[in-house]
Amino acid sequence: MNRFVNAVPDKCIGCRTCEIACAMAHPCSDEEIGPQNFQPRLIVERGGKITVPVLCRQCDDAACVKACPANAIIFTDDTVQVLQEKCLGCKTCVAACPYGAMNIVQVPAEPMPGNFVSHRMRAIAQKCDLCIHRAEGPACISVCPTKALHLVDRKLMASPRKRTEPAVQEPTAEMKR
Amino acid sequence: MKKVITVCPYCGSGCKINLLVENNKIVGAEGANGVTNEGELCLKGYYGWDFLNDTKLLTPRLKQPLIRRQKGGEFEAATWDEAIEFASSRLKAIKEKYGPDSIMLTGSSRGTGNESNYIAQKFARAVIGTNNIDCCARVCHAPSVSGLQVTLGNGAMSNSIGEIEDTQCILVFGYNAADSHPIVARRILKAREKGAKIIVCDPRYIETARIADLHLPLKNGSNMALVNAFANVLINEGLFKQEFVANYAEGFDEYKAMVAKYTPEYTAEITGLDPELVRQAMRMYAAAPTATILWGMGVTQWGQAVDVVKGLSSLATITGNLGRPNVGVGPVRGQNNVQGACDMGALPNTLPGYYKVSDAEARAKFAKAWGVASIPAENGIGITEVPHKIHEGKIKAYYIFGEDPLQTDPDLAMLRDEFEKLDLIIVQDIFMTKTAMTADVILPATSWGEHENVFTSADRGFQRCYKAVNAKGDVKDDWEIHSLMATAMGYPMKYSNTQEIWDELRGLCDLYTGATYEKMADLGYVQWPCPTEDHPGTPWLYEGHKFDTDSGRALLFAAEWRAPLEQVSEDYPLGLCTVREVGHYSCRSMTGNCTALQTLADEPGFVQIHPDDALKYGIKDQSLVWVSSRRGKVITRANFNDRVNAGAVYMTYQWWIGACNELTVDHVDPISKTPEYKFSAVKVEAIADQSWAESHVRVEYSKLKTSMRKAALA
Repeated sequence: MNRFVNAVPDKCIGCRTCEIACAMAHPCSDEEIGPQNFQPRLIVERGGKITVPVLCRQCDDAACVKACPANAIIFTDDTVQVLQEKCLGCKTCVAACPYGAMNIVQVPAEPMPGNFVSHRMRAIAQKCDLCIHRAEGPACISVCPTKALHLVDRKLMASPRKRTEPAVQEPTAEMKR
Repeated sequence: MKKVITVCPYCGSGCKINLLVENNKIVGAEGANGVTNEGELCLKGYYGWDFLNDTKLLTPRLKQPLIRRQKGGEFEAATWDEAIEFASSRLKAIKEKYGPDSIMLTGSSRGTGNESNYIAQKFARAVIGTNNIDCCARVCHAPSVSGLQVTLGNGAMSNSIGEIEDTQCILVFGYNAADSHPIVARRILKAREKGAKIIVCDPRYIETARIADLHLPLKNGSNMALVNAFANVLINEGLFKQEFVANYAEGFDEYKAMVAKYTPEYTAEITGLDPELVRQAMRMYAAAPTATILWGMGVTQWGQAVDVVKGLSSLATITGNLGRPNVGVGPVRGQNNVQGACDMGALPNTLPGYYKVSDAEARAKFAKAWGVASIPAENGIGITEVPHKIHEGKIKAYYIFGEDPLQTDPDLAMLRDEFEKLDLIIVQDIFMTKTAMTADVILPATSWGEHENVFTSADRGFQRCYKAVNAKGDVKDDWEIHSLMATAMGYPMKYSNTQEIWDELRGLCDLYTGATYEKMADLGYVQWPCPTEDHPGTPWLYEGHKFDTDSGRALLFAAEWRAPLEQVSEDYPLGLCTVREVGHYSCRSMTGNCTALQTLADEPGFVQIHPDDALKYGIKDQSLVWVSSRRGKVITRANFNDRVNAGAVYMTYQWWIGACNELTVDHVDPISKTPEYKFSAVKVEAIADQSWAESHVRVEYSKLKTSMRKAALA
């Protein structure tokens, strides 16, 4: 089973610390962080009654993987990853994702044979990569001041008690409403 | 890489941070295990330090003294000798010609620290000879200070931030912790997880309302009516603690008589609340073995604010929720050191340690220590009175230290007009600001991170900040600048470090005597009162139910409800309420120069509007709109928001283009003189040509940035 970052709405206060941590962990270029180089892969959504970060679920039966015509989205190391060098920027994955977790961003690019490049910019698909390049794990989890984000992995899911316990827990204020 | 312990320079939560420093440059920040934050930080703590690297995103750091030799002229760079001579000789001339009370000064509730505020007020009182010194507590929690000093004896939180999670009921009144103090919001969440009941009184469906047991969406401007109705229910349903009232309180009969008519049915029309909901709230609050009231600007930024604070204090008193752990009253201070600036006497009516200026014995003690014949006995004026006193010709000079009133005070057009009439404006700051642009002389200071100091967090906790990096440029510590000014004006003042200043202060104030630098070392936390060196400090006040009032009893108080000054009309049909942006702080001079924070939220900001109102006025979500009041007109972006109530709109106050203080009304609480930022009648209009509007915002923003950059780098 793929691991994923789960967010608990009851604990989220909408402070967006995770958004910045995510953007800082994923600079799109070597330039300093700035409007052109600030692409968080999770977005704190505020609905009428719910506030929660929305990000990739790392689906085991991932629609984006199936949809990608360039085979640029793959399963690896219990995650779903976008191979940026293969991405065409065609947005098929954006249409396929049921969570809205896939985003198309423009990054600076040098003209290269075989790439769709214009104005030295290139469109690529981006989503939560679980900070796979980061030894400490997902940056968003580590900064959340209310511990609203946590990693759900094979080990946690394999523990029947942890998985099923919530079914008999007292409903939270949010659920009661 | 070394780690340097500091305290976050933004809100009053008092979070301890480890700054990561390499080669005299900060490269990161991590949460340190401070008493209030327990290792956690919010976005401002993690990403709010790179302004120290002079990013020049918004405005450049001030790196040299600047003088404007003629009104309307250009700034020119000056040496410190020239700048001090220029400022001090003019200040001296004004003092001689018009008297000491023609000079107004500010303390700074921001990154500068307690020691420099002590020196600033000493400069005002001993050197200038006036009590005309104030800080931005005036525009935020001054009503809490005024109100609680009368009812309980101390103007601060009665209990600690950490105790919030162990209280069994939290009454949140006009306080959006998630945006103002994320690290306090965390405690509210933890309390909820431990089973506490949460009651939220707020017109908006704020984040805390999501986890609340009861949400009372009262009409904007009905606070006093609701607090009176709460008291009415507690008394009429016999929910209050009779024995506690008999033993420890006074004024019950008058209190009971005043709230008698404020039944939940009577107040329903004023508050818009179902009477049953009001009753349920008080049954829940009174039933809890321990209960805490938290409030913020939703209580204090009204024309009737001190009365409401006293009313909330009375609710805690009659339910016995004072004088023990995990209960109490919590005005959670907004700016990181607004509690400290008040503690240090940067207020027109109190000396350091809250001795009243009317107290002859205290005046004599301070005069002796400071080597002056006397200290003025009359209260000085508050910063919100300044424009009127300039208008009357009574204030001629304004020495503004680490504040930006031309961004943060109400009715900016009026304030700008009055500023033009001043003979002398001295600004002492770290960044070029809108206020600094009007100065005759600018004295550049070291920033938080570049000097040592003590801050006071919202729950009276003294903590030390260590110096992380050396300042770049020809800048000086704030206390040194004031010392140079004092010396130039004929009062020799010299200190070699902040500890020397701190030791002088604690030698003069019984509340702080035991708070030594040693006790505050590293992660040390000392909450006043701390009367002796072997005293550990005081996490919660009023032990043994002894209150610090003249009688030793808690005073009960209620007042008749008064409506806000401005009424909505056909022309201005919406009530504007000014609020906070979680990623920005105060006038934005610091956070606006932090890359991540500035990228997350930039001009022209938003006006939060209910979709029903937006539809009525033909406004599209995310479109640029005009918002205007009887005083001004600004452009901002519409944010459709189901969580705000129809009939009201909400804007945050740190934007230059979407500057909501161009719209706010200059109406103040009669006692605390705090502005009614929470209610100004406005209208919102669609702009047909959106591409013009987008370009207008870009051009105007760019013009402002360019002119300020040019001025700073003169």
